Amino acid sequence: MIRQPISPITKIVLGLASVACLIAAYAWLSHRQHQINPKDSTIPNLSQFSDGWERLTRVPAKSEAEGWSSYRECWLWEDLGATYGRLFLGLASGVILSLVVGLAMGCFTPIEAFFVPPLSFFAKIPPTAMLAVYFVIFGTDIELFVALIALGIFPTLAQAIYQAAKKDVSSHAIDKAYTLGASHAEVIWNVIFRQILPRIIENIRLQIGPAMVFLIAAEWLLTDVGFGYRLRIQSRLLNMNVVYIYLVILGVTGYLFDWLLSLARRKLSPWFGE
Amino acid sequence: MPPSFPLALEVQHVYHWFGANKVLNDITLQIPHGQIVAVVGPSGCGKSTLLRAILGTHPPRKGEILAHGRLMTKPTRDVGIVYQHYSLYEFLTARENVAFGLMLDQTSLPQRLLTPWNWWPLRRGHLKQADQFLDKVGLGDASQRYPHEMSGGMRQRVAIAQALVMEPQILLLDEPFGALDEATREELQIMLLRLYEENSQAKSRGEQPPFTILIVTHELNEAIYVSNRVLGLSQYHGGGAEGATIVYDKQAPVFSAADDRDFAPFFAQKEELREAVFDPENLQHHAEYVTLWKNRLAESKQGSS
Repeated sequence: MIRQPISPITKIVLGLASVACLIAAYAWLSHRQHQINPKDSTIPNLSQFSDGWERLTRVPAKSEAEGWSSYRECWLWEDLGATYGRLFLGLASGVILSLVVGLAMGCFTPIEAFFVPPLSFFAKIPPTAMLAVYFVIFGTDIELFVALIALGIFPTLAQAIYQAAKKDVSSHAIDKAYTLGASHAEVIWNVIFRQILPRIIENIRLQIGPAMVFLIAAEWLLTDVGFGYRLRIQSRLLNMNVVYIYLVILGVTGYLFDWLLSLARRKLSPWFGE
Repeated sequence: MPPSFPLALEVQHVYHWFGANKVLNDITLQIPHGQIVAVVGPSGCGKSTLLRAILGTHPPRKGEILAHGRLMTKPTRDVGIVYQHYSLYEFLTARENVAFGLMLDQTSLPQRLLTPWNWWPLRRGHLKQADQFLDKVGLGDASQRYPHEMSGGMRQRVAIAQALVMEPQILLLDEPFGALDEATREELQIMLLRLYEENSQAKSRGEQPPFTILIVTHELNEAIYVSNRVLGLSQYHGGGAEGATIVYDKQAPVFSAADDRDFAPFFAQKEELREAVFDPENLQHHAEYVTLWKNRLAESKQGSS
C-alpha cells in the first residue's frame, strides 16, 4: 500500500539491513578482487584498512617522545583540524553575511532592489570557477577557503532568507506587532527572525553539502594539508585504504552536523514540527 | 474617573480611493468608550478599507482618524486588531502570545538583551498577567499550547486576549468568527456579551468602560446580537458612484450572556438593515436610518445644560 506506515522496529531493522547489505556486497567484491590479485589496493580488505588507519594516525618519529600531544602531527589530526577549521569559519562567515543581507532585503524594499541583481548574477556562477579570483585576492592562506565557502553559499542562502522573510511572514503578523507596541527592530528580531528561524536552519543544512564541495575542490588544488589534499595524493598513489577511510569520516561528520542542526531546529523552534 | 478624551474613535470626513475606483465617501463617525459597534455592508463596499484606515496601515487619502484624540497615521498600541486568519504568532505558546504585547510595550530590545536580570522578573509578571487573561477567555488550561495545537475557536480567544491585555483605546475585530463552526461562534459571541457587561459594571461604578470594540461581520444576526450599535456601510445610496458611506447607524438591543439566544426580536431591525444597506434599489436619502453620535452628544450636552 502506498505510504502505509511501518512500526519503529521495522524501520530500524530495515535501516540496519541496508548497512549490512552494503558491507556484505563490499566484502564479497573485495574478496573476489583479492582472489584475482592478492596485492590489489583498489578494493582494500580489512587488514589493508588496518594498515591505512595506522598510516593516518602514525606520529612522525621525531615527535613520538612528546607523548599525547604529538598526535596533533599525524595526518588525520592535521587534516581534520585544517578542513573543519576552514569549513566552520567559512560557514559561520557565510551564514552571518547571508542573515544580515537576506533579512535586510526581506524587510526593506530599497535594500531588496539594490541586492537582487548582483545576487541573481553571482548565484549563477559556480563558486569553484571563482577560485582564480579568490586566489589573486586572498593568496592560499585560510582567507581563501573562508572567502570561497562564505561567498559560495552567500547568494543562495541570502536569497532563501530574503524570500522567507518576505513571503513566510504575513503582513497581518507585522501590522499586529506594531499594534502591540513593537519597534522596527523588534518586528525584525522578535517576529520575522523568530518566524523564519526553522527555515534558516533548514537552508544552512542544505548549504553544508555545497560548502564541502567547494572546500574539497580548493584543497585538492591549492594546499598541502586537509582532506582534499590527502585524497588527491592518496588516490594518485592508489592507496584506497586511506581514501575510503577519509570518505567514511566525511560521511559520518556530515551526518553528525546534519543531525546537530536538526536538533537545534527542534530545540529552538519546537512549534515547527518535523 | 472620566476619560481625558470623550471619544475612543473619531472618523472625520474620510475619503479613500484606489486610482479611479472611489471606495470611501465622506465617512464620519464617533464612537465613545464602552460601545461595541458592529459594521455590516455588502461585499466589496470598503469595510476592510475603513478598518485598515482606522488601524493606520492604509491612512485615508482625505480626512482624519483619531483614536483617543491621537491622529492615526500608522499602527499603534491605541488600536488593537484581531484578524479572521493569521491571528497568532505560530512560534509562541498561548500564554507567550498574550504576554507578547506586554513585552513589546513595556520593554525595549536593548533592555532585554543588555539587562536580562531586570527583564526576567518583569517577564514572570507578564506571563502571570497573560494567564489571568487566558482564564478570562476560558483557556486557562491551554496556556502552554502552540497555535497549531489549538482549534480555530481557541486561537481566536487567545487572539482576543492578546489584544485586550494591551488595553487598547479601541479593538478592531475583522470578521473574527467567519471561519468558525456555529457552536464556537456562539461561545465567542457570548464572550463579547460578557465584555459588554463588564463595561456596564464599570459605568455603574463611575469608571471608564474598559472595552471599546468595532466588529466587522457578514452575519446580520451576529451584528445585532453582540453589539449595542449597528453601522451599515454601503455603496447603495444617492452618491454611491463616489464610494460607500455610512447609510445606517442605530442602536441595537443589548442582550445578557445569561439570556437565551432568541433572534426573533431582531427580525424588524434585520429587515430595516437589509433595506437600508443591502438593497441596490434603495437609493433614497438615508437620514432616517442614520444617527450620528456627534449630534447625539451635542444634544445630550445641550439637554444637560
